[in-house]
Amino acid sequence: MLNAEDNALITRVGPGTPMGDYLRRYWVPALLSEEVPTPDCPPVRVTILAETLIAFRDTDGDVGLVDNYCPHRRASLFFGRNEERGLRCVYHGWKFDVNGDCVDMPSEPAESNFKDKVKVTAYPCEERGGVVWAYMGPPDRRPELPNLAWAAAPDSHRYLSKCRQECNWLQALEGGIDSSHISFLHSSLKARDYAINASSRGLQDAALHDRSPRFFLEHADYGLVIGARRNTAAGRYYWRITPWMLPYSTIVPAEPHAVMTGNMYVPADDETTLVFRASWHPLRPLTDAERHEYETGGVFHELVQPVTYRPYANKDNDYLQDREMQRTVNFSGIKGIQAQDMAVIESMGAISDRTREHLGTSDSAILGARRRLLREVANFQEGVEPAAANDGDMYWVRSAAVEVPTTMPLLEVAERYMAVEESTLTKPSTT
Amino acid sequence: MLTFQENETLARVGPGTATGEMMRRYWVPALLDWELPEPDCPPIRLKLLGEELVAFRDTNGAVGVVDNYCPHRRASLFFGRNEECGIRCVYHGWKFDVNGDCVDMPSEPAESNFKDKVKIKAYPTAELGNVVWVYMGPPEVRPPLPELEWTQVPELHRGVNKVVQQCNWMQGLEGGIDTVHINFLHRNLQGSGIAARDGAFRRSYAARVEVVPTDYGYTYAGIRDQADDSLKYVRAYHFIAPWTQLRPVQLNRGGGVRLRDSGHMWVPIDDYTTMVWNFTYSFGDEPLTEDERLQVGSGNELGKDIDYENGFKSRAAAENDYFIDREVQRTQTFSGIPGTNTQDRAVQDTMGPICDRTREHLGTTDRAIIMARKILLNAARIVEDGGDPPGLGENVFDLRSVEKVLPTDVYWRDALWGELYDKAQYTPEYVRA
Repeated sequence: MLNAEDNALITRVGPGTPMGDYLRRYWVPALLSEEVPTPDCPPVRVTILAETLIAFRDTDGDVGLVDNYCPHRRASLFFGRNEERGLRCVYHGWKFDVNGDCVDMPSEPAESNFKDKVKVTAYPCEERGGVVWAYMGPPDRRPELPNLAWAAAPDSHRYLSKCRQECNWLQALEGGIDSSHISFLHSSLKARDYAINASSRGLQDAALHDRSPRFFLEHADYGLVIGARRNTAAGRYYWRITPWMLPYSTIVPAEPHAVMTGNMYVPADDETTLVFRASWHPLRPLTDAERHEYETGGVFHELVQPVTYRPYANKDNDYLQDREMQRTVNFSGIKGIQAQDMAVIESMGAISDRTREHLGTSDSAILGARRRLLREVANFQEGVEPAAANDGDMYWVRSAAVEVPTTMPLLEVAERYMAVEESTLTKPSTT
Repeated sequence: MLTFQENETLARVGPGTATGEMMRRYWVPALLDWELPEPDCPPIRLKLLGEELVAFRDTNGAVGVVDNYCPHRRASLFFGRNEECGIRCVYHGWKFDVNGDCVDMPSEPAESNFKDKVKIKAYPTAELGNVVWVYMGPPEVRPPLPELEWTQVPELHRGVNKVVQQCNWMQGLEGGIDTVHINFLHRNLQGSGIAARDGAFRRSYAARVEVVPTDYGYTYAGIRDQADDSLKYVRAYHFIAPWTQLRPVQLNRGGGVRLRDSGHMWVPIDDYTTMVWNFTYSFGDEPLTEDERLQVGSGNELGKDIDYENGFKSRAAAENDYFIDREVQRTQTFSGIPGTNTQDRAVQDTMGPICDRTREHLGTTDRAIIMARKILLNAARIVEDGGDPPGLGENVFDLRSVEKVLPTDVYWRDALWGELYDKAQYTPEYVRA
């Protein structure tokens, strides 16, 4: 439970808000590289941290991310012409480059120097791991890119998707770090079909054996180590450990040598979230069958509509819930883990009223993440720069899902099983 | 005309508002019973008086109405599993029964007693007249069920349905109790075929309106002159606080009388949306015809006019200008809009979500509307002061509305007394409103 003031503080992300300013200290995943596939391709709309922007790839292949509104008469640059190293407004022909400089102003007299006085807001962009990252904070505070393992993997080892969720980012993140719902929301009514993850035989057994995991948290420089511990039939502990990396990255617990999935719950605006999701194998290319499943299965990655990235299963059609399926096949009657998550998370309302919830012991990860975020923002307001933003190597971890003896504490499990397998990965050098 | 504050008081119905608290003293019509056709059927969304709820029929057939939001993490219970006498949230499996008790909490350790400390908001329900009613007020003042005559007749003697209106409830109610507009908005340019109603056209379009306050609301009549100077056509209605109207439909096209009565309830979904309930029934020995039961031609026919698979929305709506046909308007009907109640919705909805009553201009024929506002504002004040609002008593159960052609020299209320207050020969207590 949060009071109304903290709930607003932790969820609002526009320019000038405490959380918004804090988030602007990090590189923000803004769009997929494939949305602007080639030089001089059509520009695309991007809303990120409640700012309305336009992205384009210029003639040299550099990505620009500029204000949606032309500084002249505030027409949208979305309709603009992307040509010769700049985006030209269709209204009066003003043209801006990826740095935001006005490089042509044909509507003014040739002798005018007005052009040199006008800029459009433009944010620096970097591409890594198939994602265009933007930096929207003060220029003198520009941090390092996070060295996320999935972003370092070769393209052949990774499948990347983007999906729009119609709720606040914190709701999406909380869903991502809540391990206890999987025994319910994602469960099948037929025990042996337990379809969490093809690799998680251990979860299949443990989640059915023990539906109320105990949660243990350890603070890390990058965020939280969230351990969900279940008793196994064999009298051992089955640990599922999620790293939550500030501000919005998680890795779903996966067993060693399995395909892993990383998520980023990025605020588009206060009531919309973009989920960037990567499934990757650290040691080998994805198989054709795996890639095909991600592209068409709608289970691990949402099937989304072009351009808007809104899922086909959405709140307007009740996420395609099938009551007969709910009676006979699975707990929710909704197909696909992501759609199941979206159904419950969006149904809390655009911004969940956290003054009215009732959290139990199984919600301790959520409580821990909120407390950490509130503390981060409070520190930031007192002038402490976020540590994780300035050390990309902190992000070089993986998740874990292992069965161990009951004598092994969480920290030891984490130390043993959360190191990235590096045989074919090269950790990128810090920029 | 109302002041801004009075208008706000009447229009706002959420928890804690004056009118909202007043309304919570009544049983609220919520669902048609067939929306929850059998035990353990899928739950459905329900919004009443600004509260988002979920309704389900449990294994024993009892209807539960609970908060939409699971008290745990506030996921919607709409997606829930309705099984074994309770609705179970799909997120972490918490399960609630129709009383709102948490009967299972499998995500917490077995030794935890958190389950016993958590309840979900749940309202008592009852089924009456093919309608599921919900009581959302203080338990200690729960009134008897509203056993109006239409709820008591055999099922085949009754037609009841509902339709969403895109405006505040008070606009719907005011439109319903306004008898004068039928000569205009609902006019067929060739005549209605009901001689008594058409008679007024020969002399004047303006009906006279007389209102007699009672302890439940009021009885009122629209009185229209006839071609024969010795006769008048009286259409006498009841308004029962807070949202019910009884409306007579006894005169047949081409003459003759039917033993029928009908009415509406305008129930707030929220401040900007209203569920209009439409009921009609036979108080004679014969059941309704199928057309009567389905309310054919009213603009309220399920399927044809009302998209009951999509939240009971009116197919004719603002975005399609209520299917107005300008050629029909020129040559056949006054409005050009098909369906009587569609015509009502067109004019009521387009006043805006909440009509700005500081800017209206009311005349003498609007006195029934003025009186309803006074009674309702007064009722809200009574409840605020700890008293009981009007219309809760069993004396409303025997009311009927009546329409008749009478000699001009009789007082309609005396002449129709036995029929208006029918079975119990009830003498309404006059109140000063």
